Amino acid sequence: MKAVELLDLTYRYPDGSAALGGISFSLDAGERVALIGPNGAGKSTLLLHLNGLLPERPAVPSAVTICGEPVVQENFFRVRKNVGLLFQDPDDQLFCPTVFEDVAFGPRQFGLAGAALAAKVGAALAQVGLAGYENRPPHHLSRGEKRRVCLAGVLICEPAVLALDEPTTDLDPRGRRELKSLLRQLPAAQLIATHDLELVVENCTRAILLDRGRIIADGPPSALLADETLMLAHGLERPHILSHAHPHRSQGGS
Amino acid sequence: MHIPDGFLDAKTALATGVLAVAGLGLALRRVRQSFPPQRIPLLGLAAAFIFAAQLLNFPVAGGTSGHLLGGALAAVLLGPAAAVVAMSAVLVLQCLLFSDGGVTALGANLFNMAVVAPVVAWAVFRPLERIAGRGGAVALAAWLSTVIAALVCAGELAWSGRVAWHLVLPAMGGVHALIGLGEALITTLILGAIAAARPELLEATAPAHRRDLIGLGLLVALGLVVLVAPFACPWPDGLERVAARLGFEQHTAQLLKAPLADYAVPGLPWEKLGTVISGVIGTLAVFVAAWAVVRMIGKKAHNV
Amino acid sequence: MQPDLIDRYARLDSPVHALAAGPKLCAALALVLLVALWPGAPWRLLGAVAALLAALAALSRMPPRFLLRRLLIAAPFALGVAALALLQPDGLRIFLLLLAKSTLCLAAMILLTATTPFTDLLEALRRARVPPVFVTTLALLYRYLFVLRDEAGRMRRARWSRSFSATRAHRWRVLATVAGQLFIRSTGRAERIYAAMSARGWEVK
Repeated sequence: MKAVELLDLTYRYPDGSAALGGISFSLDAGERVALIGPNGAGKSTLLLHLNGLLPERPAVPSAVTICGEPVVQENFFRVRKNVGLLFQDPDDQLFCPTVFEDVAFGPRQFGLAGAALAAKVGAALAQVGLAGYENRPPHHLSRGEKRRVCLAGVLICEPAVLALDEPTTDLDPRGRRELKSLLRQLPAAQLIATHDLELVVENCTRAILLDRGRIIADGPPSALLADETLMLAHGLERPHILSHAHPHRSQGGS
Repeated sequence: MHIPDGFLDAKTALATGVLAVAGLGLALRRVRQSFPPQRIPLLGLAAAFIFAAQLLNFPVAGGTSGHLLGGALAAVLLGPAAAVVAMSAVLVLQCLLFSDGGVTALGANLFNMAVVAPVVAWAVFRPLERIAGRGGAVALAAWLSTVIAALVCAGELAWSGRVAWHLVLPAMGGVHALIGLGEALITTLILGAIAAARPELLEATAPAHRRDLIGLGLLVALGLVVLVAPFACPWPDGLERVAARLGFEQHTAQLLKAPLADYAVPGLPWEKLGTVISGVIGTLAVFVAAWAVVRMIGKKAHNV
Repeated sequence: MQPDLIDRYARLDSPVHALAAGPKLCAALALVLLVALWPGAPWRLLGAVAALLAALAALSRMPPRFLLRRLLIAAPFALGVAALALLQPDGLRIFLLLLAKSTLCLAAMILLTATTPFTDLLEALRRARVPPVFVTTLALLYRYLFVLRDEAGRMRRARWSRSFSATRAHRWRVLATVAGQLFIRSTGRAERIYAAMSARGWEVK
């Protein structure tokens, strides 16, 4: 069964302008796919469709299927458990007054409480390397720590699909390295919207180039990113990482 | 205007507590009924905005500075019910986290700054907006809401018997007539800045909820009558006169006196209580009459 | 006032910190009610409460300067109103009484809030059946207070770095623009927070 299936997904903003047009692709279970493209290409908008945050009124039949289930109102509960969404700004996603409350937010909605909940929160925090952070208020955390708490809050629901919006933005090099290696260990299928082309090369087996709401190209990152003409035509560039021999890449690539 | 602990006596603390809880309860109910779920987080964010805006100091003169109070701004941006909720959150946080304003005075502070100020501001702003334009309407709303909140605050202090009315009225009223000028200017400027950048936010955030105002407006009128009117003897008191003409005053005073006369505690001003209660009933009568008139005019306008 | 200073010492390790938030809140409220509402001039009671609070403060291991500073921050309004009382007959007694009562209550509340994480107080409110919408609003206010304050500070600096006039009128306009932008950003953030809450299964109850 495909983890994510999009069939002719089209979306217009409330003001009528076209945001996404005729998007079709699918993700296998555990597959890690990058979503690249210039600002305003529709990457974030696409991610919001994965668990029904967009469109405002759910379309029937839905153009999006998650683990075999169409994303329609009746399924929102299961779909939102299955799809973990990591937002661009950790301050938007981290809305509870303590780390514990925030990581526990998802499972609480799904009915977990008490000691089982506390144990689960502890495990999720340990998974992102923040064991013992439960009682910290978010305003005492660094940017990288905040993002990892967000990730813990998503992972605790054990999603089959992760939708990540610019996960490495404004992390320092060490934070970026740690996040990338953490993401490589996760079993979930991942759709990663990003400008961080190193992340694409090191973590993903496939890249989808999006511009003005349409899929321009879909293929292995090494081929796609090396095509300098294509990259420049869509506001991107050929990453330096491809001009050097890189031991990492042959493992990460397909 | 944050009253600390120790400045209010038990009856004032209790009365204002009841008024505040009633106001917040009414506002919360209206919000639950009329706010779409996607705007619930806006309550918290708007409260945080008011709090942060209060931290911005505006230079006044000679090195002194003033800051925003925010009641009128919240009312215009959010509508009265949501403004009451957001302002209450700000005051509860200031009390519990910053110890700004006393616990026994929390009811009074909530009522003055989170109920009276935004509701008065809204009641002034809405009708005036069409006549005087947004800038003029909001300026007057901000000034009046500040001054009236200060008067209620003065009434509470006087009613508690700590400071005499003839001392506290000019002090609070005078200072806040000045502070209100600053409030009017800041509020107008901020609203102007929002209108210039994102005019649609002002349309979206302040839908006309006339029903919001009925309960809350009544409550504010009630508070004014209980807390301010008894001291305002020299004022030409329209409400009391109405009450007297309608025969409420004697009636209620007697009603109260009859069962209570035998138990009269020396020093407890039953007479004053009678005045208050007749005032309350007078207010209700005037309010109902005003409401009926507005309703009729509204219907006529609708039919034409 | 620096909001960060507020709960800087809320997570120390002391007997006062270790008490559960609910009972601590009730005890502090009882003490405040007693002091604030006791009629007349109960000097002996006030003395005893002062001694009790001083003992608790010592037990809590909080830096005394921190407590004193927080006591002084709230002083101006209290002093102003109490000074009015001086103009009445028997004014000095009322003046001293008002100051003593308000200072003691303030000290009790500062001890409570400075030794209890605000989130524990929120939990206590939730258990006391304060309507959930209001507790959520308080929690969001507490969470985003610091974010918004920093945002306002950054915007203000950015504005100043490009202004070359220092007249008062100009400063008012700059501040009003900053505040206006702050509100606009807050509405956008509120929408994104709603999305983040829904993404994790939140529904309004």
